[in-house]
Amino acid sequence: MIEITDIEKIYRLGGETIKALDKVTLSIKEGEFTSIMGPSGSGKSTLMNILGLLDRFDNGKYMLNGTDVTELSDDQLAGVRNKEIGFVFQSFNLMARMNVLENVMLPLVYAKVPADERKKRATEALEKVGLGDRLYHLTNEISGGQKQRVAIARSIVNRPSVLMADEPTGNLDSKTTEDIMRIFQDLNDEGTTIVMVTHEPEMAAYTKRIVHFRDGQITEDETVTPKQLSKAEVD
Amino acid sequence: MFIKENFKMALDSIFANKMRSFLTMLGIIIGIASVIAILAVGNGAAKEITGTFSDLGATTINLTANDSDDSNAALEQEDLVVLKDSIEEIQYISPNQQISGTASTEMDSRQAVVSYGTPDLQYLSQTMSSNLIHGRYFNQIDFDENNSVVVIDTDGAEALFGRTDVVGETLSVNITQTRLDLRIVGVVEGSFADMQGAFDADQIPLFMAMPQSTVGQQVPQLAGMNSVIIEVEDTEQIEPISNQIVRLLELRNDAVGENIYNARNFLQALDQVNNVLSLFINFIAAVAGIALLVGGIGVMNIMLVSVTERTREIGTRKALGATTKTILIQFLMEAVILSLIGGMIGLTLGILLSNVIASALNIVPIYTLGSVGLVLAFSTAVGVFFGIYPARKAAKLTPIDALRFE
Repeated sequence: MIEITDIEKIYRLGGETIKALDKVTLSIKEGEFTSIMGPSGSGKSTLMNILGLLDRFDNGKYMLNGTDVTELSDDQLAGVRNKEIGFVFQSFNLMARMNVLENVMLPLVYAKVPADERKKRATEALEKVGLGDRLYHLTNEISGGQKQRVAIARSIVNRPSVLMADEPTGNLDSKTTEDIMRIFQDLNDEGTTIVMVTHEPEMAAYTKRIVHFRDGQITEDETVTPKQLSKAEVD
Repeated sequence: MFIKENFKMALDSIFANKMRSFLTMLGIIIGIASVIAILAVGNGAAKEITGTFSDLGATTINLTANDSDDSNAALEQEDLVVLKDSIEEIQYISPNQQISGTASTEMDSRQAVVSYGTPDLQYLSQTMSSNLIHGRYFNQIDFDENNSVVVIDTDGAEALFGRTDVVGETLSVNITQTRLDLRIVGVVEGSFADMQGAFDADQIPLFMAMPQSTVGQQVPQLAGMNSVIIEVEDTEQIEPISNQIVRLLELRNDAVGENIYNARNFLQALDQVNNVLSLFINFIAAVAGIALLVGGIGVMNIMLVSVTERTREIGTRKALGATTKTILIQFLMEAVILSLIGGMIGLTLGILLSNVIASALNIVPIYTLGSVGLVLAFSTAVGVFFGIYPARKAAKLTPIDALRFE
């Protein structure tokens, strides 16, 4: 599903050039739950931004679902992000003036889905993350954990082929973190491909595959047995 | 991206910062309000003035003859005949001279205003009604034969004879120490009867009209005609006919380019008034234009602030699939709606303002669909013009730079 080959990302600071990514080659298959783990400054976020088509790279090749996305225009990339990729950010990035339902409907607005269909699908996505009873709350009226669940609902509402999560639990306490990770595991069990960036080994332990990253290069790629959370009812 | 969503987003964002949005709109509000008020009051004033001039005679040409070298220059009787025969649009033509004198019968005497002209005078007189009660007006035969006939008004008839039906009676008039004995051929409705409340009945002069030829024959110093009133059928033709009259008289009297004949109509006076008025309107419009410019810069400023504040929002939207165009339209729409709301408030305020000014000046303000359209178009244009730069700035952000923005 995701095939990157010899990806390079070079930053120029004054006269110095820094290789944030140094010929990275990685393949992620459908249904995987992969974590990219490394210390800060290792280039893992850069890799995530490139995988999420938020950033461009200097050299290499990127095939997403068999399509070469290397040469696509900005607007074409926006279309691919909209249809194929769901994002979960560390700081949630919800729209402050919109309610929960409107936030989740936003990707469908950009996908030009008709209004009643938007509402139906957004409600389904929110029910999936256990927020079916919070549809009309404003985002500043709910807790951090709930905000991240809204963000997850938003990331899956357009049925993307891959979900990209960048330190999704970085701003959450340990109890809420477990809730979020359980939702990810449930989604993965249902077939959603997930790529998660983290610097915490405890988070990576919930995933099926850990790609270790350091100095812009992959140092280790291991398949692991994920730490199972009790299948207790959500909330 | 659907218009409805964009519209709602723009409104949300505008209302999220009510005070800021209002202050931003203030320049546009002031600009639009003054444009609307000035246009409405200006148009009202223009109509008032045009109306006044039209009442005075939108179809009237005042023809004068004046020669600096020859003080005796005057219009001949023959000139009038030629003019009326050659220019078919001329409906009536007559001198409208007036002189005061004393009218007397065996019974009584009183002050009189004597108008004299051609038989057309009955349609041109500004002092006498053309509504005959008894008899007839003096006619072309009276004029051609210098008959000593006169038409008087009912008020005068009452004063001199004690009744109105005085056709066939005689009276005498003393003007410039000459006594004219005249036979009454007609009585017209008294035009000034209703002034009797304001004036003592004895003080209202007797109004009478008689052929200019008769006056000229009996009082030679009154023979010259240097002011003639011409009435045309249609106000549209008034300017070309005025020019035609002057040209014809100059050719006929061998006076081309000597500037003797002058045909003035209300348009010239109106032109002068309109020139002053439009100068005034343009001046205020320029001031309002500056207010709008400042308002537009305010919109641009606040949109730039908004784009900076919402950089992460823009990044998120782009991550979720918003294209360059979508973001551009979103922010442009916000700028346009901001200035349109300002325009609407300005429009309302301008209407209120113009009503206050107009009632103080005692005129009726005129709102045209055009001026409302102008306001809407102008505020949209201000929004687009000053919103495009911030909107482009937002749209061109790369998703990663926008998301990383702190």
